[in-house]
Amino acid sequence: MGIRSIVATTAGRAVHAVLHGLLHRAGSQLPGRVALAIDPQVVAHLRHKARAGSVVVCGTNGKTTTTNVIAAALEATGQHVLCNREGANMLPGVASALLPGHTADWAVIEADELSCIHILPQLQPTYLVLLNLFRDQLDRSGEIDHVQDIIVQALAASPTTTLLVCGDDPLCMGVAERAQAAGTTVLAFGIDEDLGLPGDRVPEARFCQRCGTELSYAYRSYAQLGAFRCPSCGFARPKLDYRATHVRLEHAGVAFDLACDETKAWRVSVGDGGVYLVYNLLASAALALRAGVEPTTFQQTLDGYDPGNGRLQHLVVDGRPVVLNLAKNPTGLNQNIALMLADNRPKAVHIIINDEANDGHDVSWLWDVDFERLAGRSDVRIVTAGGLRANDLQVRLKYAGITAPIATQVSDALAQADALPAEDPLYVLTNYSALWPTKAELEQRSRQDG
Amino acid sequence: MGNGRALQILHLYPELLNLYGDSGNILVLRKRLEWRRLGCTVREVHMGERASLTDIDLVFIGGGSDREQRIVCDELQRQRSELAAFVEDGGVLLAVCGGYQLLGHSYLMGNEEVRGLSLVDLYTDRGSPRLIGNVVVGSRIAPQPIVGYENHGGRTHLGAGVEPLGRVLFGHGNDGESGQEGCLYRNVVGTYVHGPLLPKNPGVADWLISRALERRGDASELEPLDDTEELAANGAMCKRLL
Repeated sequence: MGIRSIVATTAGRAVHAVLHGLLHRAGSQLPGRVALAIDPQVVAHLRHKARAGSVVVCGTNGKTTTTNVIAAALEATGQHVLCNREGANMLPGVASALLPGHTADWAVIEADELSCIHILPQLQPTYLVLLNLFRDQLDRSGEIDHVQDIIVQALAASPTTTLLVCGDDPLCMGVAERAQAAGTTVLAFGIDEDLGLPGDRVPEARFCQRCGTELSYAYRSYAQLGAFRCPSCGFARPKLDYRATHVRLEHAGVAFDLACDETKAWRVSVGDGGVYLVYNLLASAALALRAGVEPTTFQQTLDGYDPGNGRLQHLVVDGRPVVLNLAKNPTGLNQNIALMLADNRPKAVHIIINDEANDGHDVSWLWDVDFERLAGRSDVRIVTAGGLRANDLQVRLKYAGITAPIATQVSDALAQADALPAEDPLYVLTNYSALWPTKAELEQRSRQDG
Repeated sequence: MGNGRALQILHLYPELLNLYGDSGNILVLRKRLEWRRLGCTVREVHMGERASLTDIDLVFIGGGSDREQRIVCDELQRQRSELAAFVEDGGVLLAVCGGYQLLGHSYLMGNEEVRGLSLVDLYTDRGSPRLIGNVVVGSRIAPQPIVGYENHGGRTHLGAGVEPLGRVLFGHGNDGESGQEGCLYRNVVGTYVHGPLLPKNPGVADWLISRALERRGDASELEPLDDTEELAANGAMCKRLL
């Protein structure tokens, strides 16, 4: 490490110490920003701290959960892990995550799709996990074609990285094929059976990535993920290196058998979630296995896993069960709707839509969400609309056949839910910028309750 | 049923032109007709199919990525004369975003000039930067300002006889300079206000419906609807931006 990197690292750590120790703030970007200002290549110099290897997790939905599960599983083996757990997923956040301490075993890094082009060349990770690609924040990220190009370029600049990719997603496989042709080693994971779920409306990737013909599916898991095949050119789901079979999807949780060439199948289960969580856990388990984590250790990690990060977070407020979850694009909201409808208790639903920079200023995507599935359901008793774009959401729901009063504050939504018996849950779904304030308010109310 | 057969709506290539929740426009037209007991039938035209415009009252063209827009443009060239006849006959056509660019003589894809449908006297070149953000437009076809979101690299220039849809009150519009947004030609509305234009702009939706009813000789006066939520959403953005 050169003198410049040493100065950069020291300065970054000092900022971290001030923020964390004196001001009691997490400050997840600022230390990295300072370090990068002094040495723009600081991540390239810090990467050697992770002696066993590093993992970058990328994809539209599920990054934070997958990153945290992989990090927790590695820590459960007694290894020291550097991780941007709070989801600061651009280059400064990555630099911040790598600053603390002198050595570590693993770096497990969540990366924003477009930031891969800055992160991969410096970090040269052992693995890139690519979970899925959905339409998300078009005003910021641009069209999916552009996101794909960026990831291909990032992999080209990190030639020793192995790509662990969702083989069920034609958009991810479009990236994987191009990367493989340029020399990247590719491993694929996927769900190897028909779950018999109703298809989402999201029309992403109906056409072949190579030749433009409409893809055909033996089955779909959700959105464009499934056993796809192009009838004209042979572009198809690859042979899966890590397969989920005997998938059980219940309100009480998900479970599946993970099979790969190296081991016999082992059961993975968690007390939460829907089909998207099967994919996140499948990716996490596959990666953990490659990094030497024993299957039993991985399962123990899940058994004790409570991220408390607003992703399917369970709380009790005024005696009422509250489920908080992030939903920031059509696929995320559609998956949340499917999850709520799998819970047949009477329920209230509060949806918060903001349009700050990290949400995307454009809320057009609300019209790509299947809110119609909530309409006319006798168990969906109350729907309220919140956030800076509550009015837009209210109009969208009106045209879906749902009357949704506006609840400006979370407390208003809780008050509306009081029309239901206390045992009936309130689901709170929010996009990005409202997640942390909503979580803080619910946690505070929950503590008062306790 | 009101005073005649259900309104016939043609949705062109929904599987390709669907970049920003464009189908919200179809949903709004459908519901506003149903709520007035006027009824409607939506026919989707898919790739490889030929759009028959006989008996069609209203055509919708959405926006797509560059690649998708190009595929649609090639496909529509073969049906140009039918579309032109429909427009000249006073047929109602709504085109948003990329669909708007297709209406003109040409647009640019990268540096390549792509021939458009020449349904309206306008053309599109490119500029830098992309024009992205909330937009508010004052238009004679709607009692409230038109609010929405734009995201386009193209700069659209109207011919001498073509009226803009309206004046830019906030945002960029056709080229970021002229203060003009969209086009209004006969019963054709083209606009950069992309995706779900109609939900927050019920006046535009009803103008399109009225023109379609008028063209086929039905009474164009519409039964008023309770638009409390739509106008609140419109008003909230006007208040924030103006």
